[in-house]
Amino acid sequence: MLRHRVIPTLLLKNNGLVKTTKFKNPVYIGDPINAVKIFNDKEVDELILLDITATNDKREPNYKKIEEIVSEAFMPIGYGGGINNLSQIERLFKLGIEKVIINSAAFYNYNLISKSAEIYGNQSIVLAVDIKKDFFGKYRLYSNSGKEKKKILIKDHIIKCVNNGCGEVYLNNIDRDGTMLGYDLELIDYYSRITDVPIIVSGGAGKVVHFAEAIKAGADSVSAGAMFVFQGIYRAVLISYPKYKELEHLLN
Amino acid sequence: MQREYQICKRCVMDTTDPDIVFDENGFCNHCTNTIKRLNEIYFIDPEIKERKLDEIINKIKLDGKNKDYDCIIGLSGGVDSSYLSYLVVKKIGLRPLAVHLDNGWNSELAIMNIDNIVNKLGIDLITVVLDWEEFREIQLAFFKSSVVDLELTSDFAIFASVNQVARDKGIKYFLIGSNYSSESIMPQSWYYGSKLDYLNIKDIVKNNSMVKLKSFPKLSFLQYLFFSKKGPKNISILDLIDYNKENAKKIIIDELNWRDYGGKHCESKITEFYQKYILPNKFNIDKRKAHLSSLICSGQIQREKALLELKKTTYDKDNINEDIIYFCKKIGINEKKFHEIMKQPIQSHYYFKSYQKMKKQLITLFGK
Repeated sequence: MLRHRVIPTLLLKNNGLVKTTKFKNPVYIGDPINAVKIFNDKEVDELILLDITATNDKREPNYKKIEEIVSEAFMPIGYGGGINNLSQIERLFKLGIEKVIINSAAFYNYNLISKSAEIYGNQSIVLAVDIKKDFFGKYRLYSNSGKEKKKILIKDHIIKCVNNGCGEVYLNNIDRDGTMLGYDLELIDYYSRITDVPIIVSGGAGKVVHFAEAIKAGADSVSAGAMFVFQGIYRAVLISYPKYKELEHLLN
Repeated sequence: MQREYQICKRCVMDTTDPDIVFDENGFCNHCTNTIKRLNEIYFIDPEIKERKLDEIINKIKLDGKNKDYDCIIGLSGGVDSSYLSYLVVKKIGLRPLAVHLDNGWNSELAIMNIDNIVNKLGIDLITVVLDWEEFREIQLAFFKSSVVDLELTSDFAIFASVNQVARDKGIKYFLIGSNYSSESIMPQSWYYGSKLDYLNIKDIVKNNSMVKLKSFPKLSFLQYLFFSKKGPKNISILDLIDYNKENAKKIIIDELNWRDYGGKHCESKITEFYQKYILPNKFNIDKRKAHLSSLICSGQIQREKALLELKKTTYDKDNINEDIIYFCKKIGINEKKFHEIMKQPIQSHYYFKSYQKMKKQLITLFGK
């Protein structure tokens, strides 16, 4: 067993998977069912599935698709996108989702976090934070798939959500998303110190050494999107996942 | 009237091909033609073959001078295309661009093989991803229509996509993995003869589905007529070497970490399911007969061994239900519907509109 999890993040848009760059230009990468089947065969331990348009389209999670994906997956799945009330969370857990990931709703509905953490346990409720540097090089918080800038301090927001019951934080850097240039280590170093709950970092992974760097900087788990779905200079769609041995060697 | 069962005495083709003809020795038209053709192109003086290969390679290299790539390879992850990549890069020294079609049915093995090939050989790759929501409807329409060639849709898509990439990048040659030594025999009624017939696809879909063809590649009648002139030149390099499938497999396993998936064309889940279940059960077609007969003709397998191979069922009865369930789920029907469609009578591709028919009419009108 790896001490640090290496988790593919898959982005759902309508019924297909896409991959964005800096949260823009979604490139279609195919059918989620087939992707999950391939990740099964690659013996991936965990998946994160984010519906990137649900909140902005003001709609419910795509339960039908989520159910299809979950029923095909051998591994636990964390789901995020469009979650803003308790009955949705109940329904997602009933479908077999292992963890729910809350982003936009966490800015106005702390009650949702505390209630669901109370019912399902802290480990099942993940806070996702999307962070981007502003013009002056200062980290800023965003919600709604990077569309809405927030005034609250990142640190305050994370502490507040953790205090309300979030058992894990998914820390995502918008500027690095899809670039494969490496994680923002400064960001990881800083925000992993402010809380005791495990941090999953995302945004920028391009090769296996990036994982080791992120863990050294303070991440508990690492996540990647582009790295696991693109190949070569044309970013040809081709799913891959590092060999277990390679990860073990680098991360343990 | 049911024809009496007969099997060829030289290869393993039989009367499941309704058009098969036997001579007085009990030899069928397939192997007779193939052996004749093999003597012309395959079993020839190796020196002549080599000279021919050199000629073509020099031409490809010359035309590709000062370009990023001199040829395109279609990469499926199967034996032929994998070996072709190895041969072309390591032995011949060409600079191919690989194009892969993702039709939503890739197996992990295929993906892994492609990954190994492009990384180990340093080939640039482009993947054409078909929109699954649309392509699913296209395939479902084909399945519902009960025409024999369910794979026409993917075959067309790869040719159309390669053509597009070739044009974008100014590449003149398309090296294909198909080869006479292992694929010479295929009865006409077991597939649709024109892989470029967009009209046939369109009309079959129109008659069996509500889906609009939007992102699926298109081809006009004019493009269809002049495809061979305008498109990249197709070259089967494997016909110009002493191609032996088993040896090829060994080489790519050693050199490229290639993994075997068992069965011809089983790199794609749909091809596998189509060949082992849909074709035998609905169309009474066992494509292994054609593959094995091809290998018998080129001397790569003995007839006795091929017959033994055919004694095995096309699929594993214990596991087939799982495959059926997956197929239904992927394509979006329930199992009851699946079995209903399996029982529906077979329909000819020519029942629908086609460029092939249009071309024939044109020829009758204006002569050749």
